[in-house]
Amino acid sequence: MRAEVLKGHLDALLLATLAAGPRHGYAIKEALRAGSGGRFDLPTGTVYPALHRLERAGLIRGSWSVVNGRRRRSYELTPSGRRALSDERSSWREFSAAVSALLAGAPSPAAT
Amino acid sequence: MSGPRQRPAGRDAVADYLAAVAARLTGPATARVAICDELRDGLLETLERHLARGRSHQQATAAAIAEFGDPATVAAAFGPELAAVQARRVALGLLATGPLVGLAWIAAVAANAMPPWRLQLSGPWLALPLVGLAVAVAGPALGLTVAATGRLGGAGRRATLPPTTAATAALAAVVADLTLLASITGQLLAGPGPSVVWAPVVLAAGASLTRATLAGRALRRCLASRAAVT
Repeated sequence: MRAEVLKGHLDALLLATLAAGPRHGYAIKEALRAGSGGRFDLPTGTVYPALHRLERAGLIRGSWSVVNGRRRRSYELTPSGRRALSDERSSWREFSAAVSALLAGAPSPAAT
Repeated sequence: MSGPRQRPAGRDAVADYLAAVAARLTGPATARVAICDELRDGLLETLERHLARGRSHQQATAAAIAEFGDPATVAAAFGPELAAVQARRVALGLLATGPLVGLAWIAAVAANAMPPWRLQLSGPWLALPLVGLAVAVAGPALGLTVAATGRLGGAGRRATLPPTTAATAALAAVVADLTLLASITGQLLAGPGPSVVWAPVVLAAGASLTRATLAGRALRRCLASRAAVT
């Protein structure tokens, strides 16, 4: 699935991959791919800029460490990020319930 | 025999890929270095995952690079963030130096009782309203830049706004500094008088000369980062 399809949802999905704890960029990308059953397989290089954007927005926090002799940046949710994720989840449940109801094929009250 | 030779080749391909990304990045050097470090770790991690799946170094390297996407796309995706970082640094720098440069000029003019100190705009000081205009332009431009690059700035939206407003403020600073330098030069050439208090004059002129140089450089960088996100 292409990145454009995820436009508008990518931030929430990235936040969701960090709900269980800190991850580095590649692990986040892999979590996104695995969590979507392989459907959201984004170019890894474009996940990093999105993480930087979320960090500037104060939704995630990055920190450096050294692993296998190279610098690694890991990210974790901030309190604002947790609130944003919770809000996104609520909104998505309402949205998906409404869309499912409409697309399920049941006649709407106005049409009957 | 081919194994030991292939590993450096894979690392070289990773280095080439990172160099291709780095060459396309515009923005503060520290931010660009951090991005390349992060991408290097991710690329090598990807490479190692592919090696663990039994692929050759050549195959693993090609697969890792393909997973990352082409360097131009990756560099372009960083453009808005780097432009915001660049613009914020310029704005904070101008906000920090503005009052200091202003105070230095007030001290210079006051110590020598020059015409502006007596609220007179005459001779070489006729252009002084330009400084007021520059401050009037720079103030809102700096406010917009700081707001647009902060946490509430709507990350990712209107990527050209921060470098544009920061460039505007930098240009205003250059105009203000050059106007002040031209005015004081004109005043001194017209006849400084025997009792010039030089220390504050030299301090103010030095401050403006330094800031004009740095603001000119910042202006070019902001325009470059703006071009990168246009």
